[in-house]
Amino acid sequence: MAVLRRTARAYGAMMAMVPKLFMAYQIWVWMQFIVQIISLVILVSFWSAVYAGESSLSGLTLAQTLNYIILAQIFAPSTDTNMVFELGYMVRSGQIGMRLIQPLDLQLALYVQKVSEIALAFVFNLPLALIGWLLFRYHVPADPLVWLAFLVSLLIGNALLFCFDWILACASFYSTEVWGMGMLRYGVALFFSGALVPLAMMPGWLRTISTILPFSQALYTPVSLLSGITPLSGMPRIWLAQLAALVALGALSRFTFSRAVRQVTVQGG
Amino acid sequence: MSVIQTENLTKIFRVPQKDAGVRGAVKALFQPRYKDVTAVDGVTFSVEKGEVVGYIGLNGAGKSTTIKMLTGILVPSSGQVRVLGRDPHRERVANARQIGVVFGQRTQLWWDLALIESLNTIAKIYEMDPQRYDQLLEQFVDLLDLKDLLKVPVRNMSLGQKMRAELAATLIHEPEVVYLDEPTIGLDLIVKERMRAFIKQQNRETGTTVVLTTHDLGDIEELCQRVIIIDEGKLIYDGPLSAIKERFGKYRQITFEMARDLDGVDLPAGAEIVTQDGRSLVLRFDRTQTTASRVAAAVMEQFNVVDFSLAEPDLSMIVKQIYQGALHPEAV
Amino acid sequence: MIRYLVLYWTFFKQRIKVLMEYRVNFLIGASSTLFVQAASILSIWVVMRQVPTLNGWAMAEIWLVYGLLMLSKSINHMFADNLWTLGWDYVRTGNFDRLLVRPIDPLFHLLADRFCHDGIGHFVTGLILVVVSLVQLNVVVTPLKVIYMIITVVSGGAIFIALNLITGVSGFWVMDSTPVIRVVFEMHEFAKFPLSIYPKAISAVLTFLIPYGLASFYPASYVLGRDVPPTLALATPVVAALLVFISYRVWLFGLRHYSSTGS
Repeated sequence: MAVLRRTARAYGAMMAMVPKLFMAYQIWVWMQFIVQIISLVILVSFWSAVYAGESSLSGLTLAQTLNYIILAQIFAPSTDTNMVFELGYMVRSGQIGMRLIQPLDLQLALYVQKVSEIALAFVFNLPLALIGWLLFRYHVPADPLVWLAFLVSLLIGNALLFCFDWILACASFYSTEVWGMGMLRYGVALFFSGALVPLAMMPGWLRTISTILPFSQALYTPVSLLSGITPLSGMPRIWLAQLAALVALGALSRFTFSRAVRQVTVQGG
Repeated sequence: MSVIQTENLTKIFRVPQKDAGVRGAVKALFQPRYKDVTAVDGVTFSVEKGEVVGYIGLNGAGKSTTIKMLTGILVPSSGQVRVLGRDPHRERVANARQIGVVFGQRTQLWWDLALIESLNTIAKIYEMDPQRYDQLLEQFVDLLDLKDLLKVPVRNMSLGQKMRAELAATLIHEPEVVYLDEPTIGLDLIVKERMRAFIKQQNRETGTTVVLTTHDLGDIEELCQRVIIIDEGKLIYDGPLSAIKERFGKYRQITFEMARDLDGVDLPAGAEIVTQDGRSLVLRFDRTQTTASRVAAAVMEQFNVVDFSLAEPDLSMIVKQIYQGALHPEAV
Repeated sequence: MIRYLVLYWTFFKQRIKVLMEYRVNFLIGASSTLFVQAASILSIWVVMRQVPTLNGWAMAEIWLVYGLLMLSKSINHMFADNLWTLGWDYVRTGNFDRLLVRPIDPLFHLLADRFCHDGIGHFVTGLILVVVSLVQLNVVVTPLKVIYMIITVVSGGAIFIALNLITGVSGFWVMDSTPVIRVVFEMHEFAKFPLSIYPKAISAVLTFLIPYGLASFYPASYVLGRDVPPTLALATPVVAALLVFISYRVWLFGLRHYSSTGS
């Protein structure tokens, strides 16, 4: 029990660091807010113009699409699980050695850190949610069950994307030039997560790719529940699929990491 | 004609005053309050062609601010400054052509490129005659031992190598005035020696005027005939180095660590107590009257000494003593 | 003038040598912006293929608006990226003093100090979009139109640089000036689409106040023979020159502040 409490405190201390780091950059938070408002106005104007002559596209009305797009903007930080730069930096600077001798599981520790960063990003998006609502009156469900379904799906989806990103990041043990991969991952995620376009609008082959790739699990799948694109009745099947992917990616990520870490010990640093 | 001339040179910074917290930040936005800080206060001096002047003072005394006004980076709040007959700020570009500056540990070299690339570019920036450049380059490579460094990127150089490269880059365009701001900080003795020799040689052969700020008494002793001492923005001494050395160079300090607390102590003539605190004792003695071994022997005879150390008199110590009233400007 | 061109070439060669020291990073940097641009271009394609027009603009016409803006942006990105870090890398570290003791103009020195290869990705994207658009639309490309577009792109680049310079001068006061620059810079995102899709107030801002629209929407309309006031379509170089003049005055103001405070 005491061990558990101590472990919890250790992870808790790491979590507490995150908001302090954020507040150190207050002016950056404000900038982020204005940048988001700009992109929100662009998205809404764009979609309104798209729907000018149509009542529905791919089965979605303008109201549904806007609802989805605005919510997706608010919850977009869920896909910020890219670990390539962090792990790459640790490997290059040799910090990885220090981190590995800490009495924490590195993957779990960094996951906790990422999740707290993302949770905090959601908090910082609250003003955006408010302004967005004042400007565009998007609709959020009143049914707590929908919220629960959404939160569970978001949590699982985010965790499985983290595992996927962890596998990618392990490449930094083998090559110092992972920067390009990190940028590529960012671009691919932007498109396939559903942050810009609801996946329902994509042509069949692109939809297939986006279902295979894990990015949509952290954003499109939960947000489409919240915005009403996916009915609550589809929930059990989605949860199951997400859980299965999480287990598979989780196991694979642990295996990959344990292999990659050997690279460090072999090279001695 | 004087190369550098300042008259009542003064620099006052307006520093915004802020109260803590959000309310303080808001108040500062609408009702800013300022405090005037005088960094350089009515400094007047002139430097003749070919002089090497040590410009010294404690940290924050106003050395860098003065150098920045002399180089045209900062505008004086009041007073006059003339370098080679020009206002260095108003005629910044013309002034820049004829000066060279080494700013402590900042580099003017291109970090990722071989030294020779940086030197070539600098030659172009200063519009050097290519033939003259080649000639000087050969000379500098020889004097500063840069032969093996020309092809090395600056990022791969040691601190000493970097400083040698920096000196070459600063002097290659044959500036008439060179400002060296802490050029030997952190360098080992051999590199220091080489740099001093180079500066001396340049000064002697080309008549380059040098203004040097440093904490290192060795630099001053090797290079400067004249020192200017500044404290809290005010000029407190301007004169030959020998006068300073005579007055303060003759004192040395010894610190003793005793096995147990001491009460009284008998000292040989010429030695006096600076501080005495429990088991530690700091003495000062006049080198012309006694020696370190005589003082140490006297103390050891009376007490059980655990440890002792002899302090080299450095400039900051001398400046401190001067400021504490040992030497009043009017007394000079 | 010629002296500065020669000097820029010297600095540029230096920079290329540095970039060649890290060849892989060079390639990655030059292509990094492509990935993000590809995501947003692909998204527009996904949507636009389902509808005939966006407020009367066909997809190929939108590529021209988007592409012209990308080209202007790439000029800023390649030649004036150092403005972003004036506060952080130059004023904070004291490196700005180094520029001031050299016998050349400090603004020139600042810009010439770092050619940014990341902008090449934007340039390529923009060029492809413009060419695709003109080919798809069967626009008769006369030499006059080519000259008009080149002038537009260069002027658009100048607008980008001037606006970044005005906001970037804040680096003389606050070390971390990036957010200040970013807030105005981000407005260019509006200009990727025809301004007619936005509320009147926004399109007015993008035309008269932060005139990124003059780098994309108005010239594109002009090239496509659409109904825009010709004064606005031809205003780009004039406005660019005016903004460059204003921004240089602002820069001198910042420089005066720096030389009286040193930070």
